[in-house]
Amino acid sequence: MSVLDDLVAGAVEDAAAREKVTPLEEVKEAAVAAPAPIDAIRWLKRADGIPVIAEIKRASPSKGHLSDIPDPAALAREYERGGASAISVLTEGRRFLGSLDDFDQVREAVRIPVLRKDFIVTDYQVWEARAHGADLVLLIVAALDDAKLKHLLDLAHDLGMTVLVETHTREEIERARRAGARVIGINARNLKDLRVDVNRYAELAADLPEDVVKVAESGVFGAVEVEDYGRAGADAVLVGEGVATADDHALAVERLVKAGKRVKASETTPLSTHQGPYWGQFGGRYVPEALITALDELERVYTEAKADPEFTRELVTLNQRYVGRPSPLTEAPRFAARIAEKVGITPRVFLKREDLNHTGAHKINNALGQALLVKRMGKTRVIAETGAGQHGVATATVCAMLGLKCRIYMGQIDARRQALNVARMRMLGAEVVEVTLGDKILKDAINEALRDWVTNVKDTHYLLGTVAGPHPFPEMVRDFQKVIGEEAKQQLRDWYGIDHPDAVCACVGGGSNAIGVMNAFLDDERVNLYGYEAGGNGPESGRHAIRFAPGTGQLGMFQGAKSYLLETDEGQTLDTYSISAGLDYASVGPEHAWLKDIGRVNYSWATDEEAMNAFRDLSQTEGIIPAIESSHAVAGAYKAAADLKAKGYEHPVMIINISGRGDKDMATAGKWFGYLTDEQSKALEVTGAHGDTVA
Amino acid sequence: MSNTATTPSGQPLGISHRPSPTAAMFERLDNAGRPAFIGYLPYGFPDPEVSLKAFRTLVEHGVDAVEIGLPYSDPVMDGPVIQAASQIALNNGESINGVFRAVETVANAGGTPLIMSYWNLIYHYGVERFARDFENAGGAGLITPDLIPDEAGEWIEASDRHGLDRIFLVSPDSADERLEVVAKAARGFVYAASRMGVTGERNTLSSSPEQLVERTRRAGAGRVCVGIGVSTAEQAAKVGAYADGVIVGSALVHQLLDDSGRNALDEAEGLSRLAAKTDELVAGVAGAR
Repeated sequence: MSVLDDLVAGAVEDAAAREKVTPLEEVKEAAVAAPAPIDAIRWLKRADGIPVIAEIKRASPSKGHLSDIPDPAALAREYERGGASAISVLTEGRRFLGSLDDFDQVREAVRIPVLRKDFIVTDYQVWEARAHGADLVLLIVAALDDAKLKHLLDLAHDLGMTVLVETHTREEIERARRAGARVIGINARNLKDLRVDVNRYAELAADLPEDVVKVAESGVFGAVEVEDYGRAGADAVLVGEGVATADDHALAVERLVKAGKRVKASETTPLSTHQGPYWGQFGGRYVPEALITALDELERVYTEAKADPEFTRELVTLNQRYVGRPSPLTEAPRFAARIAEKVGITPRVFLKREDLNHTGAHKINNALGQALLVKRMGKTRVIAETGAGQHGVATATVCAMLGLKCRIYMGQIDARRQALNVARMRMLGAEVVEVTLGDKILKDAINEALRDWVTNVKDTHYLLGTVAGPHPFPEMVRDFQKVIGEEAKQQLRDWYGIDHPDAVCACVGGGSNAIGVMNAFLDDERVNLYGYEAGGNGPESGRHAIRFAPGTGQLGMFQGAKSYLLETDEGQTLDTYSISAGLDYASVGPEHAWLKDIGRVNYSWATDEEAMNAFRDLSQTEGIIPAIESSHAVAGAYKAAADLKAKGYEHPVMIINISGRGDKDMATAGKWFGYLTDEQSKALEVTGAHGDTVA
Repeated sequence: MSNTATTPSGQPLGISHRPSPTAAMFERLDNAGRPAFIGYLPYGFPDPEVSLKAFRTLVEHGVDAVEIGLPYSDPVMDGPVIQAASQIALNNGESINGVFRAVETVANAGGTPLIMSYWNLIYHYGVERFARDFENAGGAGLITPDLIPDEAGEWIEASDRHGLDRIFLVSPDSADERLEVVAKAARGFVYAASRMGVTGERNTLSSSPEQLVERTRRAGAGRVCVGIGVSTAEQAAKVGAYADGVIVGSALVHQLLDDSGRNALDEAEGLSRLAAKTDELVAGVAGAR
């Protein structure tokens, strides 16, 4: 006899004994007289959370004694206080040490639905459940044949109860469906080693229709499992030991409820208006507690500003009159012909000209927006990091305009390469601090800016330059940059009479220009989106900044957010390399990580060589010199065209975001292409003319 | 991604009802009428072997709990002294796998072993795996400078299963609601930063840590220890008068560095300076109440 057979036989025997004392007719009368059941289905599925069914269980055959539970009613009340959506009460007495008396106490104590969990195989047990005020009962498919399952399911439904139908296999799920189950519990325990396998759960639940409530029944211990099951599509979870044996039961349930809300909030659509702190499993706030008050304040002030027409008006006006927005959308027919030659389809190519903004890149969009927030917060000092100059220059620029004190952190290696940009920032009145710690590059500048912020957070705002870092930066910077895509969409219609592009290409360092140009198209499935990372010397070389290709980035927390990260097998940050300092960053914005995981954006890379060739191609076909960062997007356009060709497009409309201008890169380019003699190149190096930007 | 494919806990292990390891230490010290003295050094600094000797030196000279730092490439809460020490450790082959030897060393010497780590290192090692190995080595609790309770679901779960203490930080700028969030999630004690900023020695301490300790206790925290900036016996005595424990880091690390602050001293000189500094601070703590 199997364990289940044994349990069923015992339960039947016990029920028969109870029936001798209280015959079925009497139980039926009590059932009719009992208060009407709560419609539990509505408690078990919701858009904004993952309902928790908290269980009262003293022991189990697999784990033995768990908890004494002298007062089930008190425990149930604590579960309810913690936010449980239903209480499950084990009423089996032999192995689980439960009873209907426990059930009655719980029913009396709480107002949420209560599930009678037992080995139910007879009409008597179902009537009995209702007579005791149950809103839900459990039926186990493995313990019932088809006819019996359907019969008991119908009976329970007729009595107004909800039935949690427990299944273990695909076959059992089908039997449950055929019998008319509306709530299906899936027990995804691997029976060999008793481990719970979320993949197996996802596989089993995959074919269930939307109108069936899916309950993950096994192995939920805490927030981690709620998150795993939630991401695998479970509507609700049943949890026992993890809450029953906790020191603080209400707090334990509350943690699960919060985890469920977080999962749901992290996956909301439409994509273009998704809000932080979580982008799928990415994002969050992995920062010292000392910064939380400042981040909370920033979030609050930003939310208020967004709703304030005066703030929007000021931003729009400055964008027009100071930055020079809208930036044009320029058709590039001679470059399109170059693509046609190489790839064999004939696209129409349009360039979004962020290079024509004041200060020469898209960075000013965000710097201006945040600087206006600084004014609103009443802070007087701004700090920022810069990889090689562009964000630092943009920040120094807006601080000069608004009369804010400004300090820019820059890695010493970058500062030496960028002596002219350092001079530019100083000319604008900013203090430039060379960071001599760590690898002396962008990430070290960010570390030092964070240390400054932790120390001076009361009067200082950290004007982060990209869609990375802790919440609310990824969302806020997205909002300040999304004007790029909104303009492009409008210009394509108004100037060229084209409804929508077939493809959008952008380079991805931290990812702000890419998010900016893509956001307006995220929810339009007709638009193929392509992001290009810095390939350096190629993914196998170990000298690159590719975070998304297989074998490169791994999940990790870096500088405030969870995302993909280039790290050693110990979790230490790896050195990165790219010819463009602006793309030379070990991690990437959390929204990009999410867009990669859900497959909305195609990420690939362009190597130094591909980027430099594209730099020359665009310069010589269109008379537009792109930043080396943006050249990665231009190089990517060839790859995107090949992909579009494979998808069957013949004349695709492509937008390439030219995030910045390449004047600053002339020394690097001159050296690369041999336009400069060694002597000239050396002279330029001495004056620090080699340049690059931050994407 | 393997971490989303299977539930990390696998076969669920029940909640450990092992009492808080640091609570036992505080009770013992209450009876002795003094606060705890908690000393920090990075594991692997200047190299793994010498660091074990340094940990033993701390305990032998009267440190109650040792905060074993895990060196990290991007330590945003640390000032120049600890950054330099971490870099030296990393250059000399520090690996997280070896840290449990340091935990055992401290435990065997009679001290209470704590680990201080930036979150990515633990996350990457595997939270459940870390909790298991830490518990097996005799560990007491983990200090997480860049993990706030709101993001700590997996750690709260793992620490509950392994009976480990969770030490979160609060700072003078923390709002009362935040103090409550931290107090509720913490186990063992709460780490109060004496001032806004990163680790490092200071000539003077403001009066704000006393207020912060008071506010944190009002928010529901049982035990509150103060760190960041404490570097002399006098400061230790002052802080120890109102806090449950005094945490000293940079001032100890400093003893093992040469005048440039970039290189480690030779072993014998470093350890003897460390012992002397520890003696000085222990005397300060002993006279705190």
